[in-house]
Amino acid sequence: MAFRRRSIIPGFGLTFGFTVLYLCLIVLIPLSATVFETSKLGWQQFWHIVTAPRAVASYELSFGASLTGALINFVFGILVAWVLVRYAFPARRILDSLVDLPFALPTAVAGIALTTIYAQNGWLGRPLASLGVHVAFTRLGIVVALTFIGLPFVVRTVQPILQDLDRELEEAAASLGAGRWQTFGRVLFPAILPAALTGVALAFARGVGEYGSVIFIAGNMPMRTEITPLLIVTKLEQYDYAGATAIAVVMLVVSFVLLLGINLLQKWSSAPSG
Amino acid sequence: MASRYHQGGNVLSITVANVTKRFGTFTALDDVSLEISAGRLVALLGPSGSGKTTLLRIIAGLEFAESGAIRFDGQDISDRAAGERRVGFVFQHYALFRHMTVFENVAFGLRVRPRGERPTRQQIRDRVGDLLDLIQLRSQAGRYPSQLSGGQRQRVALARALAVEPRVLLLDEPFGALDAKVRQELRRWLRQLHDDVGVTSVFVTHDQEEALEVADQVAVMNQGRIVQVGTPDEVYNHPANSFVYNFLGNVNLFHGRVDNGMTYINQDATGDLIFARPHALEITRNANGPNHFRATTKHINAAGPLVKIEVITEWGAPVHIEMAQERFRDLALNKGEEVYIIPRDLAIFEATHGDFTPSR
Amino acid sequence: MVSALPGVSAPAVGEPAFVRRALIAVTVIFLGVFLFAPLAVIFASAFGQGVAAYFRSFQDPDTIAAIRLTLLAAAIAVPANVVFGVAAAWTIGKFEFVGKNVLISLIDLPFSVSPVVAGLIYVLLFGAQGVLGPWLTAHDIHIIFAVPGIVLATIFVTFPFVARELLPTMIAQGSDEEEASLTLGAGGWQTFMRVTLPNVRWALFYGVILCNARAMGEFGAVSVVSGHIRGLTNTMPLQIEVLYNDYQFVPAFAVASLLALLALATLVIKSFVEWRAGTTKEVTF
Repeated sequence: MAFRRRSIIPGFGLTFGFTVLYLCLIVLIPLSATVFETSKLGWQQFWHIVTAPRAVASYELSFGASLTGALINFVFGILVAWVLVRYAFPARRILDSLVDLPFALPTAVAGIALTTIYAQNGWLGRPLASLGVHVAFTRLGIVVALTFIGLPFVVRTVQPILQDLDRELEEAAASLGAGRWQTFGRVLFPAILPAALTGVALAFARGVGEYGSVIFIAGNMPMRTEITPLLIVTKLEQYDYAGATAIAVVMLVVSFVLLLGINLLQKWSSAPSG
Repeated sequence: MASRYHQGGNVLSITVANVTKRFGTFTALDDVSLEISAGRLVALLGPSGSGKTTLLRIIAGLEFAESGAIRFDGQDISDRAAGERRVGFVFQHYALFRHMTVFENVAFGLRVRPRGERPTRQQIRDRVGDLLDLIQLRSQAGRYPSQLSGGQRQRVALARALAVEPRVLLLDEPFGALDAKVRQELRRWLRQLHDDVGVTSVFVTHDQEEALEVADQVAVMNQGRIVQVGTPDEVYNHPANSFVYNFLGNVNLFHGRVDNGMTYINQDATGDLIFARPHALEITRNANGPNHFRATTKHINAAGPLVKIEVITEWGAPVHIEMAQERFRDLALNKGEEVYIIPRDLAIFEATHGDFTPSR
Repeated sequence: MVSALPGVSAPAVGEPAFVRRALIAVTVIFLGVFLFAPLAVIFASAFGQGVAAYFRSFQDPDTIAAIRLTLLAAAIAVPANVVFGVAAAWTIGKFEFVGKNVLISLIDLPFSVSPVVAGLIYVLLFGAQGVLGPWLTAHDIHIIFAVPGIVLATIFVTFPFVARELLPTMIAQGSDEEEASLTLGAGGWQTFMRVTLPNVRWALFYGVILCNARAMGEFGAVSVVSGHIRGLTNTMPLQIEVLYNDYQFVPAFAVASLLALLALATLVIKSFVEWRAGTTKEVTF
């Protein structure tokens, strides 16, 4: 079989060539530099770096906080999507538009804003401190930042599903004697679950790599509040290129596995159901 | 045959010579040849997957054949780009430019001409105006395709194709996406338009009624081959093989054999193919002569000009029969009645290799 | 005030009013704390010491230099990615070829790479100890800790935006209109300019807006390659970090307020484009 079906539409050679060239120059060749750099290390040395206690602590923090944030968004994302799609109330449209704010707001801006809110004398930091809860410069702060960053994902994956959901489905369930809770649990929830999980996976993937919004609110204490991307930066600033790259490779592998999982999830959620 | 809508564009003949086209391992066209005389309106008729649209797109230059040639008036144009062939192509889903008004859609082909050949603004306005009159949509000139009905879009697509004074007009399932009533109207209109404009036209359809009603000539296609070419009368009344017979209208199928001028119907599915159109089977109460079989009426639909009756033969097969209202009233048939069926006209195809060929 | 959307909620399957009110209240509080409060605190802090202090923040030459550099990086990165996005969408949307899905996945790749890693890979290539480092030093070419590195990192993180907005539109529109245009005698370029481009103009516009917002706001990747040289290699987000760490809160939030306004403008345009296209929301980042 030929590489390409002959077509009367012109410009394949030019656009395909440019696309692949640009992709190679900007993305693929630079990314392959990580492999090149790590290959300077032996396997043992690589393993030693990526399993050092400080690195492992950073993975636990990055993955743990991202997962926590993603799960918070799972619950609240479904709620927000539900309320925005199903109910009419003042400022609904504005809130709807505002949901994308974490996508649009530069991460550094989000970082200093969240830190200011949750600092000891901040709008929320002060009342929380009087309850004995400290957010800024703790692990809780990291969870707050990652919840903020991941907020739009679940909402925006669930929203179109809810909008397209046939109301007759619910009416059928009601006519068959199901209560509102049963209808939600047995009819609606299964319908939106694949999309919601896709959103969770996207939020998690984004959270693991997040840097700007976290470093201001995290205490950045090694072993306690140091996220993996920050560890990479720290190693770079010490000119430990090989060490930084080794940890970057771990992150890349995790990202690609997540990407694969998200693709599978999206296939699942777009598969015909019911 | 120049007309107001088709100034000076010479009318030409189309030759399809031994064209073969494959998509991967699928052979869409298998050594197809076809001769279309100048000024004709020809239908490519066949079921989906028969290769009719592929053939049309190859004539237009939208697809490329692996082998074979397309000639316009004897001149090989196989290697010419679609834009250089001066064909008007009407797409199945119209492919109107959605961001342009009706006027701009029709004017497009004139506006994109190289500077030297481009008509003046006034000429463009006049010509588009004429075409909009032709399709009776002048009042809609400023509208966008999304604001038009399906039938209107179809007419705009036609006008757009005619604007460049094509030497050949090609239409892909021109009525496929329209509802029954609009279809009827547009069919008659297309026939009229062809008579007015006189440009050699080819259209693709899977609807035998449409092909038989509109076209001068019908090319019946099946599995990448042209099975028969002829006038509607020829293909309907003298089908080349069982496929054509079967495809052109409703039929009842029997199996059996012909011996000494007698037709024997087998009750199992063996032997030659015997076809009978629903109107060629007669229902009577008393059988005289040897040529008949018994059946029981199962369902009667008397709505419409013809009464449609489904009977179950004595060997348990369903058979469809049509008769005039008058005859139905005379008979005063009831559901569940035992009757005799007399075949008036049978088409018998002997079981040779491949398709069955006529033996009459 | 609180009601079901007309025509959406049939009485048979609605929730009781108190449940609706409770759910709306929780949503409003959640979004208020997580979205509205950060936005409000930016402007409150920026104007915390009055309007005069706010505007004085923009007289700092380092801040002015940062704004200039941000505009420059976006002015290069956005057009580069527009050209790429259009080419990629044309190739993928209009042709059938082997490996198409692989190409689509590769275009999305930069989204799944941490910004810090995005910066790192350019340091590995062009840094003093990098693969091309010795050659670059010998020819006195500075990429890392200089403007070219910042531009490259910005291009990387905004790489998929335009292509991703254009692709679904181009694929959905198919090639019918282009084929019609070609049979009517238009050339390839004419077809692209007169038929394809007008059809995807809103998607393209939106892609440019998103690409620009991210280009101006990128922090992690740029931070790694910049070297944080004040007045020279600091972009606006980096300048915010510097000011904030110096406890100059008003100037830090003043610069942040500009980027927040850009974000708000992006959201308004997004709503407008979606309203125009009549489409539902999608995850676009």
